[in-house]
Amino acid sequence: MTAVYSSPAASDGLMPRLLSQVWLLARQVLWRLPMLILVSLIVFVILRAIPVDPVTMLLPPGATQQDIENLTAELGLDKNVVMQFLIWLKDAFQGDFGISIQNGSAVSSMVAEALPMTIQLLFFGFIAGILLGVAIGLVTFSYRGTRVEKVILSINGIMMAIPDYLWAIILIVIFGVGLQWLPFLGPVGANISIDHITGFLTLDSLLTGNWEGLGSSLAHLILPSMTLALVIATPIARMAYSSLTEVYREDYIHAAQLRGVSSKRILMFHALRNASLPTVSLVGVQASVIIGGTLLIESIYGLPGIGSLMIKAMRSFDMQVIQAIALTYAVTVQVINMITDLVLFQLNPRLRMQK
Amino acid sequence: MGHSMAMAETPLTDFMPMEKKILLQAEGLNLDARIHGKTCRVLRDISFTLEAGKTLGLVGESGAGKSMLGRILSRQLPGGFKVSSGSLQFDGEDLLNASDKQHREWLGRRIAFIPQEPMTALNPVLTIGQQFSEHMQRIGVAASECREKMIHSLSEVLLPEPEQILDKYSFQLSGGMCQRVMIAMAFASEPDLVISDEATTALDVSTQAQVVKLLRDMQQKKGTSVIFVTHDMGLATHVCDEVAVLYAGEMMERADAKKLLQHARHPYTRALTRATPELDGDLTVLDTLDGQMPGVESFADITGCRFAGRCRFCQPSCEESIPDMQMLDQQHGVRCIRIQELQQREDNEEKVPHKTGAAFSDRHILSATNLSKVYSSGNSKQKDKLALAPMDFHVAPGEFIGVVGESGSGKSTLGRLLMGLEEPTSGEFKLNGHALGDDEASWQKRRSLIQMIFQDARSALNPRRKVGKLLTQMMDSRPHQRLERRERMFELADNVGLSKHAVGRYPTQLSGGQRQRVNIGRSLCDLPQVLIADEIVSGLDVSVQAQIMNLLLELRREHKVALILISHDLSVVRYLCSRILVMKNGEVVESGETHSVLKNPQHPYTRKLIAAVPPTDPQADWPLDIDDDDGSSGKMDGI
Repeated sequence: MTAVYSSPAASDGLMPRLLSQVWLLARQVLWRLPMLILVSLIVFVILRAIPVDPVTMLLPPGATQQDIENLTAELGLDKNVVMQFLIWLKDAFQGDFGISIQNGSAVSSMVAEALPMTIQLLFFGFIAGILLGVAIGLVTFSYRGTRVEKVILSINGIMMAIPDYLWAIILIVIFGVGLQWLPFLGPVGANISIDHITGFLTLDSLLTGNWEGLGSSLAHLILPSMTLALVIATPIARMAYSSLTEVYREDYIHAAQLRGVSSKRILMFHALRNASLPTVSLVGVQASVIIGGTLLIESIYGLPGIGSLMIKAMRSFDMQVIQAIALTYAVTVQVINMITDLVLFQLNPRLRMQK
Repeated sequence: MGHSMAMAETPLTDFMPMEKKILLQAEGLNLDARIHGKTCRVLRDISFTLEAGKTLGLVGESGAGKSMLGRILSRQLPGGFKVSSGSLQFDGEDLLNASDKQHREWLGRRIAFIPQEPMTALNPVLTIGQQFSEHMQRIGVAASECREKMIHSLSEVLLPEPEQILDKYSFQLSGGMCQRVMIAMAFASEPDLVISDEATTALDVSTQAQVVKLLRDMQQKKGTSVIFVTHDMGLATHVCDEVAVLYAGEMMERADAKKLLQHARHPYTRALTRATPELDGDLTVLDTLDGQMPGVESFADITGCRFAGRCRFCQPSCEESIPDMQMLDQQHGVRCIRIQELQQREDNEEKVPHKTGAAFSDRHILSATNLSKVYSSGNSKQKDKLALAPMDFHVAPGEFIGVVGESGSGKSTLGRLLMGLEEPTSGEFKLNGHALGDDEASWQKRRSLIQMIFQDARSALNPRRKVGKLLTQMMDSRPHQRLERRERMFELADNVGLSKHAVGRYPTQLSGGQRQRVNIGRSLCDLPQVLIADEIVSGLDVSVQAQIMNLLLELRREHKVALILISHDLSVVRYLCSRILVMKNGEVVESGETHSVLKNPQHPYTRKLIAAVPPTDPQADWPLDIDDDDGSSGKMDGI
């Protein structure tokens, strides 16, 4: 259809359109920066308000007062909180998140090493969750007015009440322990080594032509990503179904039917785009749910991502690592929200036309 | 001309007298629905013929089943509804038994629809061009000519700058423009039949006249037959060739459109015409039609004439069997068994002269000086919007003032400012001669003396409270005795003509007219002196509208209450109000005694408003060419 009829802004000229798109992107990034700084500040203050003293935790029981003072100064804990935060912020902008208390290595490299695992997990979890959710929504909708619709909706309702860690246990028990179809511990099989290029196991094995590694790393990803997917798929299914039902009550669907437009085309061209608006918004909201979920999921499945790193850091009160990972989580949530905002912007002209 | 893309089967591209060709013929059509296990006949014995190039009007109040025919034609009946017998021939083919595939072929190509709400009938996330080109490709226009043809179609419906319209979204256009787009789309395939379901109801009066004219021009140009569904008998007279009056799913009367208004024979048609206020002629008291149309659920219990329950001339024999349509002449049919004897009786009835609500004294209850309202846009780039230019306003006891104008004219803003729902930019109020301040005492006085009646009774009344509580809602916020409140409930119910039983019901259990009575009664609780009513009769059926209007005049006599009626309907204002304000773009362009303003309008805008109302004389030429002088109806920015 669009082949005949060019896109609406074509007459506006290419340059102004491009400029407005760049400005839009810049605005999306800019207003999120202060938010990230605020999140960091809150985490920073909370970490220092908790009555745990990392210095005494680090030093042997017989340390002298001098030792304590030296270490406190070394860690920068002798300055006031605001000063400490400003210093941290300055370093953070340069990519320096300090030194881990646990092993003395740079926090930035620890996070960078663990991050690909988590991103990989999130990526597959998100894609599978959205696909599964939309598919369930569409199937439910296609059975509207029948008993099948009610059955699917009730099952979906029950599934919505199951938390992520319970899904993990259910999946492990069924597919890992019971049927023994899929591995459920670690990132890749025990005897397989994958050359390190990007840090993404699947990508690296693909690049090096390591098919065995690819198969194994993918197999190890299935259960954890399915766990995350199930958590977000159920609300997405519910939303996709109810927005479609709502859209089909609208006059413009009725009007298209009266013009004799085929039902398939009504669904694809008229209904889906309108119904996708609330669904995409929901995906943005679910971002924080799924990212928070990696914390437990990675620990349960033994994946060395930033989630398990975070748990380890919390055990030993490794302030710098906790701080850095909290920021990483915040950035990830914001990035996903930004993407959904931009997608909504493209889908909904009413947002675009707003002055 | 875009005639080259016409369907091969359409012989009537040129409008010339030729052998009468019947396009659509319905015979003994019965539509059944299963409701609560009972079979109800939603439409009973519907028969008509529609010739090519002609217009058939389906007139009736809400619930008469006038939209059902369109749903049968489009095969979009609600669940459980089924055509049980009868036939429907479309251009010689059986429409009811045609395959779904065949039927869908006809839709959009040979049968087109114009919807009631043009704004919502266009998909908000697709441009006009995207939707139009989808339709064009479906009706077989080659991709290479599509854009050109669309622009041609849009200019045919007199849309300015059609190229730019293609790039717009529906929310960037006004209602009138959207309806033009819908008409352009409907006629693009040069269909044989166009069904217009209340297509002009949601539009302003002058836009309505323009759209009606456009519809007729297009129809004549393309030789299309039209089924024109409307609740407005006056409109139907001027638009249609033949009109059928529906009541409770039954065709009560059908006749030549020009003859029906003055030669109506069925008691229901006559009652309808006598309940409709007119814009010229002598002012006479409107006859009201008591009761309400039976609902679909109760159809199964009615053995005889469905109008019998409300008919003044009902006899036991009326309720015994279903009356047949009796043909008085070739075109005029009436479904009433007493038609012969009733003829003489009704002609002798004389009409009672009617007086509008004039002021009881010169004293001003409420006056406002230098009242104005400007909506600040909040930034320097956009201009502030002037909602109301500085004006003086006063109302005397018992005075009924009509404020008329199109949407966006500032008439509702005036009402809200007087009520105090909005903060005026400038202006001072005086209530009974005392200046109104901003202190609590002033507000209390204002609230007890001025009350507002909201437009939509359904949404204005809390559905979870009983009518009695709603009527005395103003007592919620102050100490009172239960007995006192109970007493007041019944008084108020009685004042607005509600039965005692209604007090214990919920608003959803009432009919539209009864709900509007509750809505009015509620404002009377503290015996206000001024009522501000925003379009309170516009959503009501004609017979109910007459009841409510007479009720307002009765309340004026009893309680000396004054009324500021905000309305777009000049006939309603003429019937109720002694003084009229005509507003346009936030300014009062004309004001004075209703009678003289309507008879001898000075301002061109007033003349335009009056010209837009379908005249009483069925022979009069209407709508005239209304010059689209100002850009206000062609606003591009949406609201």
